[in-house]
Amino acid sequence: MSRPPPPSFASRSGIPLKAAYGPGDVPESIRRVAGALPGEAPYYRGSFPQGYRTKPWRIFQLSGFGKPEDENERIKFLLHHGETGFLMEHDRNTADHLYNVDHPDVVARREDVGQTGAVMQSVREVAICLDGIPIESTYGHAGGAVVQHAPFALAAYWTVARRRGIPLEQLGGTGQSDFFLTYLGCVTKQQIPTAAGLRLNADIIEFCARHAPKWVPVSIAGYNGGDSGLNAWQELGAVIANAIEYLDEVKRRGNLDMTAAAHKVGGVNFRTTMDFFEDVAKLRAARKLWHDLLRERYGITDERALKLRIHIVTAGSMMTYSQPFNNIVRGTMMALSAVLGGTQSLGVSGYDEAISVPSEHAHQMSVRIQQILQHETNIGKVTDPLGGSYFVEALTAEMADRATAFAADIAAQGGFLATLDSGWLHARARDNQVAWQQAEEDGRQLVVGVTDFRDDASQFEVDGFPGVNDSYDVALSRLEAVRRERHETGAKTALKALEAAIRGTDNVMPRMLDALEAEVTLGEVGDLFRSVWGDWQTPELA
Amino acid sequence: MSHAPRILLAKTSLDGHWRGLSVVARALRDAGFHVIMGGMLTGAEIVRGAVDEDVDLVGLNVGGHVEVVIRVIGELRAARPELPIFAGGVLPPSSCKRLAALGVETYPPGSSLEDIVAAARRLTAASTPT
Repeated sequence: MSRPPPPSFASRSGIPLKAAYGPGDVPESIRRVAGALPGEAPYYRGSFPQGYRTKPWRIFQLSGFGKPEDENERIKFLLHHGETGFLMEHDRNTADHLYNVDHPDVVARREDVGQTGAVMQSVREVAICLDGIPIESTYGHAGGAVVQHAPFALAAYWTVARRRGIPLEQLGGTGQSDFFLTYLGCVTKQQIPTAAGLRLNADIIEFCARHAPKWVPVSIAGYNGGDSGLNAWQELGAVIANAIEYLDEVKRRGNLDMTAAAHKVGGVNFRTTMDFFEDVAKLRAARKLWHDLLRERYGITDERALKLRIHIVTAGSMMTYSQPFNNIVRGTMMALSAVLGGTQSLGVSGYDEAISVPSEHAHQMSVRIQQILQHETNIGKVTDPLGGSYFVEALTAEMADRATAFAADIAAQGGFLATLDSGWLHARARDNQVAWQQAEEDGRQLVVGVTDFRDDASQFEVDGFPGVNDSYDVALSRLEAVRRERHETGAKTALKALEAAIRGTDNVMPRMLDALEAEVTLGEVGDLFRSVWGDWQTPELA
Repeated sequence: MSHAPRILLAKTSLDGHWRGLSVVARALRDAGFHVIMGGMLTGAEIVRGAVDEDVDLVGLNVGGHVEVVIRVIGELRAARPELPIFAGGVLPPSSCKRLAALGVETYPPGSSLEDIVAAARRLTAASTPT
């Protein structure tokens, strides 16, 4: 098909690009701080002076499917091949909705169960998933990406640790409880309202500040905004707006010193895409905006709190369905931009991302890409090697300005939660979704193997990872066993105590830990949440 | 045209990713179709929606296992044998082949909106003659 190829000299986010940059393009705002080295405020050149010399980025891949024992095997496979932290995925049908497998909405789709993560309805299943994994010495992500699921997922992981004799004070790891995923990127059928979600996150932050010093309790995941359609500066601006919402809430509650609170929300997640320099600029700008926010809005001066720590997942939406091995190159490019942007941890999407959850081979390649970058290329030996580039500095300044303006737009809408409730943020994402698709269709954005250079009879087709087919049956029998074998009075008492905490103002986490210990199940927690809080009114999405 | 062709779009799974469905819905509306967004529906709910809304075409957005999709197709065919169905989303090549064998066209990631709209026009041509 012949198309006019109108050249686009702009970034994917629409920032105009010049043919070349010189000293006059670097604005005063950057020149003022350009003398600061990595590890020096405002940290836009990096949070740590020695960069990757003393602390290589963590190789941190999402993993999970099937039964808990299948997920366990995959996590061990990744650790064996050099992953340096692990992320547990929970089954989306059950976990994200707080349904047990015998919920009618799950039964109707029983073959879907276990496709995206293991079913973990009680602490027993989490224990199987973690069997033989040294969580006392391995940084783990407990799952609980969706807000209403986070307290359950964290409490389950911590309960397994406690049973192994590992005190929570010594346990390192993280959770997610992400508003972007929950209310923008992957909107569930039923979800607690945003205000209830904010209360849970504030409870988690306060609990971890007191009892889990090595735990990063929530992770603001701009990724999920970006892959839903927010462009680079919208993603960054919305992350800042989200952080304001969390920190303002903790401040309003008045239970916690703001420096301690900042420590607990200072791990955030972005995506990198196929716009290499734009994403490098995004990460550099992010560290500066974080520093400025905490200093100016909350008066925080503690250096450790002012240093943003970043986790990157390479954009799944950039991975193509056709010619999937091309995605190994895409994963490498996106990983490189994350590393040159100074990320602290990294997950590279599988080359089969558009087809299924990762196969073992795709997963292994995601680890290998990172190992090659770490060990063969020398790129980690100098921190912020792009610092001082006229172009990168100009783009960083532009990114910071646009993100700041977008955060102000969100504030003018009533704040981050208000833009989720009203659908304002979804509308911004939707506009870009359509525009980006249009750019691919009219020839302005070429995608190799998709819009051009197609090879319909490729012998290199892969069929994705089939998973296992007994997840539902096994989960159902395990649910029945828990119901049969647990101390029923103890479970009901724990559930009552949890309800009292939810209806009152006590922190939910101690009661959630008691509930997990008493083998209260996922669906019971969900029923309780729904009975107290009702459902979020999902805005019109399309 | 007697009326704008009516399309029910539904997700067969409880996976809430909405970007692909949103872009497709927009394109179909822009092309003059009346799009009914069904959300995450079970087979029984999709059948009810298709009958109550008297649609000319059902579009299934797949984010889960193909067996669920096949069951939904079976339920739809039992209720309205002539109703055309097409599907998009996360569909491995082998799943596309299985759905093709059931007479269901598939549009996996990377499909163009132009092709999807053309398919919708073709599949609704019989029920809504111009």
